[in-house]
Amino acid sequence: MTGFLELLVAGLNSGLVVGLAALAVTLVFGVARFANAATGDAMSLGAYVAFAGANVTGSLIAGSAIGVAAGALVGATSYLLVFRKLVGRSSVTALLASIGIGLLIRAAIALAFGHQQRTFQLPLVRPWRIFDIRIHPNDLNLAVVAVLALAVTFFVLHGTPVGRRMRAVADDLSLARVSGIAPARVMIALWLLAGAVTSVAGIMLGIKAVITPEMGWEMLLPAFAAAILGGIGHPVGAVVAGILLGTVQEMSTPFVGFTYKIAISFLVLLLVLLLRPQGLFGRVEGAR
Amino acid sequence: MIITRRQLIATMASTALLSSNRASFAQGSGIFRIGAANCITGAGAAYGTGMQKMLQAGVEAVNAAGGAAGLKFEVSTEDTQTQPQAAVLAVKKLIEVNKVQALLGIWSSGESLATLPLANDADLLFMNTSGAPALSVPPANAKGLSYRFQATNDRFGRAFAEIAEKEGFKRPATMAFNNASGIGNTEGFRKAWEKKGGKVVEAVVYEPNQSSYRSELQKVLSAKPDVIVTGSYIADTTIILREWYQTGDTQKWIIPGWAANSDLIKAVGPEAAEGIISVESVSNEGSDAFKAYDAAYQKAINAPGLGNAYAAMAWDMVIVLALAIEAAGKADTAAINAKIREIANPPGKAVATFSEGKAALKAGKINYEGASSALDFDEYGDVTPDFSMSAIEKGKLVRKYIVKI
Amino acid sequence: MEAYLIAIAIITAIYVLLALGLNLQYGLTGLINFGHVGFFCVGAYTAALLSKRGFPPLITFPVAALLAALAAWPLGLVSLRLREDYFAIVSLGFSEVVRLVATSERWLTNGVQGISGIPKLMDSLVPRAAEPVAVLALLLAVNLGAILMMRRIANSPFGRVIEAIRDNEEAVKSLGKDPAGFKLKVLMLGAALAGIAGAFYAHYISFISPEQFIPLVTFQIWMAIIMGGVGRVSGALVGTLILMLFLEGSRFLHDVIPFIPDVEMASIRLGVVGLAIVLFTLYRPQGLMGDFTRR
Repeated sequence: MTGFLELLVAGLNSGLVVGLAALAVTLVFGVARFANAATGDAMSLGAYVAFAGANVTGSLIAGSAIGVAAGALVGATSYLLVFRKLVGRSSVTALLASIGIGLLIRAAIALAFGHQQRTFQLPLVRPWRIFDIRIHPNDLNLAVVAVLALAVTFFVLHGTPVGRRMRAVADDLSLARVSGIAPARVMIALWLLAGAVTSVAGIMLGIKAVITPEMGWEMLLPAFAAAILGGIGHPVGAVVAGILLGTVQEMSTPFVGFTYKIAISFLVLLLVLLLRPQGLFGRVEGAR
Repeated sequence: MIITRRQLIATMASTALLSSNRASFAQGSGIFRIGAANCITGAGAAYGTGMQKMLQAGVEAVNAAGGAAGLKFEVSTEDTQTQPQAAVLAVKKLIEVNKVQALLGIWSSGESLATLPLANDADLLFMNTSGAPALSVPPANAKGLSYRFQATNDRFGRAFAEIAEKEGFKRPATMAFNNASGIGNTEGFRKAWEKKGGKVVEAVVYEPNQSSYRSELQKVLSAKPDVIVTGSYIADTTIILREWYQTGDTQKWIIPGWAANSDLIKAVGPEAAEGIISVESVSNEGSDAFKAYDAAYQKAINAPGLGNAYAAMAWDMVIVLALAIEAAGKADTAAINAKIREIANPPGKAVATFSEGKAALKAGKINYEGASSALDFDEYGDVTPDFSMSAIEKGKLVRKYIVKI
Repeated sequence: MEAYLIAIAIITAIYVLLALGLNLQYGLTGLINFGHVGFFCVGAYTAALLSKRGFPPLITFPVAALLAALAAWPLGLVSLRLREDYFAIVSLGFSEVVRLVATSERWLTNGVQGISGIPKLMDSLVPRAAEPVAVLALLLAVNLGAILMMRRIANSPFGRVIEAIRDNEEAVKSLGKDPAGFKLKVLMLGAALAGIAGAFYAHYISFISPEQFIPLVTFQIWMAIIMGGVGRVSGALVGTLILMLFLEGSRFLHDVIPFIPDVEMASIRLGVVGLAIVLFTLYRPQGLMGDFTRR
């Protein structure tokens, strides 16, 4: 029984990182209406910039702030340079372009930093034991960060004028235009937010694991799966779905083994798209 | 056929570009052409450049001593990108365009398995540093042209088993990165351990590139091992060790040297790394051949030769080939092949450089003791290097002893 | 020298076959298949396993094509229910699952150790020295056959329905035709071509392992057809040629541009693929040869 509970904890933990990445994906998917395949590599970029920043300033917090700012910048830039020009074309075109952007980012990271792994220098601590289950303080930090990111996103979306406009654009673009909402500014704000969240996800991933040029790309499929599972455009849904996916994945290992557990996100994605395309929290918009 | 013409024109253009930059069309006698198929880019990039430079340095040393059997060495280099497909094209080019007479420096098992058939077809000697067991025997090595300068994965596993036994462990578990090398190491360990009458209490194979290995680790730990033997790389080892340390468990670890090095200590911190046993196949560091290699390496790369064990192997490849040609007296593959074990294996006068060996050959049989290992090739063309056992103490890697298997 | 050119030509022809299959799927029906390498993998492993057990190419090649097409069937069924970009994501997951199966089912595929010693294709039919040329000739014939078949499809009633589906699916449905079945057939056909390409590949490289069938291969083919121009056969040809020139040509780059360390060449290659995809998507979506589709 302890074994299962430990798997649960492991799943919750890895699910949080997926959830953060899914949050970034769902923001863009919901408002800009396409799947941004550059999310993974943008996560890696956030982690690397935070790493470099932490080295230069000597503080992880300062480095992370720089990383988050960089992520926001990259998000806005890719909108201005590329995605803005693709509005009106099919969402697949934007998806294709985002793949290209992702590859570019990955190449740039590898050229700038090389391929050997980097790690954030954090002290390792022994875990707390609660009911014979090990809980690590770092995991709790991760959960706090995830909740914070969600809270900020929620606040922006529901508590600020620009956020309201974002939701209007997400609901119905033409109606929003007719109501006088200028899409460009709203989109820039959106991409700044999405980029920042992406960086946060990347930094958390880097803290949990190691920083390599490929780290974000590996997260992409699970992030997409969680975003779709949670319902496109639903921030809370994305994070919840991420946690769910991570948990299911880890708890499936006694049954499917360590290699196939990776296929679990794919399986869940498939089932969701076929049976309940709007996901857990989404409206019936149709996956077709 | 439009397709053919277009393709031909396009490829001719690129080959024209190529030939204007290579001085390798030298035909005729007096030259022995070596093909260096190194992994300059890709997963093996950390070692490929060093290997390439040492192949070139070895060629220089041979030529400085007057060449072998009256032949001067020339080397053509190509990047295999550590990919089987790119390696095939690289080797094809070396064979067909540069007309090389031997292939040296192939690093990974995938590349070797894909290109050894090409060497067999063209009847060329093939010297590599790959670990896959399949390279020793037919069908891959049906012609006996392949010589492996690195320990097989099996031998690595055996070294792990020797060390585990010597350190008094009784309940080992294994964790393997899911690729040929990782699994090869742990399988080698299991076979050797079971031969000693022991049992491996748990064996886990994990997928690469994950952000956490908690469930895999949990499975291993639940079997209560006293030591965990890994076939792993630095990124996954970092994550696993971090998560292990945070469980508070107390077993020991035996990890390959390419994963348990100063980078690992830096990544997990000296506390978590304390007591880790790092195992590496060692170059023949005390030998004179190593001194010669080290000097060449410092000159070419400006770093100690210890840093790239594969570069030492590359150096040895050239020397062994040159001595065999000198002994055979001609540039015929079969004749050279027949001499390789003669000049590299005992008995014979021990020599450490090409010039030394060339002179000693006049007097009788020699035994080249290489920079990478003693280079005593068995019937499969494999060598058995020594292995070092080091332990991490207070944040530093400390060599404890050498294991001979 | 000729043998080296033939080697490049063989790899190029294999990639052309892959591009033709992808072009069929995307160009004619608009299906975004990000899992093409999965069919390539199925074909390669099928040919490898069967030929090592002694079956002749006359049997292994059709079986490879058949199994690849069959692998496309469940994916196709799924595609009919999904929006294009969702399908794209699912197809990417599909090819990764194929790779995981190849990695995991050691009893079948020898797992990560891969399958080595795959026999040469024409060994029993022609003398050793002539084997590469014979393989190239066969490949060119197969490519030609694929192109002719695609021309006939485009001009047949079936093909007209496909184009109509691409242009206005609802209208087609209202006419009583079933677009679903057609899309499925096209997906399977494209997959079969990839399967044949995989069979050629396995025989030529003689060693296959799961790590050779990664998504990057799919995206390289995408780059090829985007650059060449979708919907046109000539687009697939030109695009693949450019791709191969780039992949093989970058080998010689370090002679021309000495100040770039070789080690970074792989990253630069990756960056150029990414840049090409972005630039062509932005400024020349119809590719170099022009586009039949309205996208």
